[in-house]
Amino acid sequence: MNLQATSDLSRPWLTGIREAIPLLGGYIPVAISFGLVTVQAGFSTWEAALISTLIYAGASQFLFVGMVTGGAPLWLVVVMTLLINVRHVVYAPNLAPWLTHHRCWPWLMHGLTDQVFALAHSRLPQLAERQRLGWFTGAALLAWGSWIAGTTLGAVAGEWLTSRWPLLGEIMPFALPSLFLVLVVPRFTSRQWSLALCTTIVTAMLCTLAGVTNLGIPLAAILGALCFYAVQFDTRNRRQE
Amino acid sequence: MSSELWIAVLATAIGTFLMRCLPLVWMRRRIRKLAESDRIDAMPQWLSILGPLMITAVLGVSLVPSDPASPLSWLATAIGAIATLLVWYRTRSLGWPVAAGVATYGAVIVVAGMGG
Repeated sequence: MNLQATSDLSRPWLTGIREAIPLLGGYIPVAISFGLVTVQAGFSTWEAALISTLIYAGASQFLFVGMVTGGAPLWLVVVMTLLINVRHVVYAPNLAPWLTHHRCWPWLMHGLTDQVFALAHSRLPQLAERQRLGWFTGAALLAWGSWIAGTTLGAVAGEWLTSRWPLLGEIMPFALPSLFLVLVVPRFTSRQWSLALCTTIVTAMLCTLAGVTNLGIPLAAILGALCFYAVQFDTRNRRQE
Repeated sequence: MSSELWIAVLATAIGTFLMRCLPLVWMRRRIRKLAESDRIDAMPQWLSILGPLMITAVLGVSLVPSDPASPLSWLATAIGAIATLLVWYRTRSLGWPVAAGVATYGAVIVVAGMGG
């Protein structure tokens, strides 16, 4: 799982699967919770699995089920869940320079979650062009499959699992912050990036503590970008003086 | 599930897919219009900055423990994060730092739970 450039990957899809394994620690416990919450809200097991298969977006799925159960109008449910996912619009263009001309790529974007994007954004530039489609397919399919499997497991046996191993659901999700940390740390390359990254992390944490997580993600990223540009502007001004 | 609810599920699924897919179609057209050598530069600078910062924002969100009122969960998060960083510094790999972070985080939770 070395992050260094690798050009001798004979089976890139297998490498993609292997490198996406750390995602499972975060995906499966959350998917189990979603399956459990969904059947408790009155949906059947296969309906819960189908929601995870089709929508495949963690936070918005919880919101979808919560709002439907609360009796909200369905148009509002759709609008709110889509609003949460708006951040996804910046993901694919960031990967585009490294994608080949294969016609499958637009369809594979169904698997472009926060985590898969973070992983792909780090790894695709290091892979040879011919390996990228296989790598992304392997990584995205493992993540998608684990999300669907976790939801089904949660719907069928979520209550039993959480009572049998209560700590597991508490400990395994730490795989996500841990993975994000590994993906973000190499970006601390200059004062400008460090300031932007720290601003983003602190803002996102404060927004989460204030209970506005979904608004917090784009807000924190925009504030971080403003810091990035402020330093750039300041540096240019000093050079001109 | 009622047919209205199915329509809502499908509308959300299609909308989410389009938000992930259409920007790629747009960007690919933009890249195609520019010379092959300018592929990276074809991306507007603000977009290339916003992408990594979105990941960073998700990191910030995920660093907040599920029970923020508990000092133990903050301590476990801090120690787990330090373990992740140390192993990353030594190995520069992806899997080992995550495994070390989760194991350390879990150990702090379990040990503190036994003590408490």
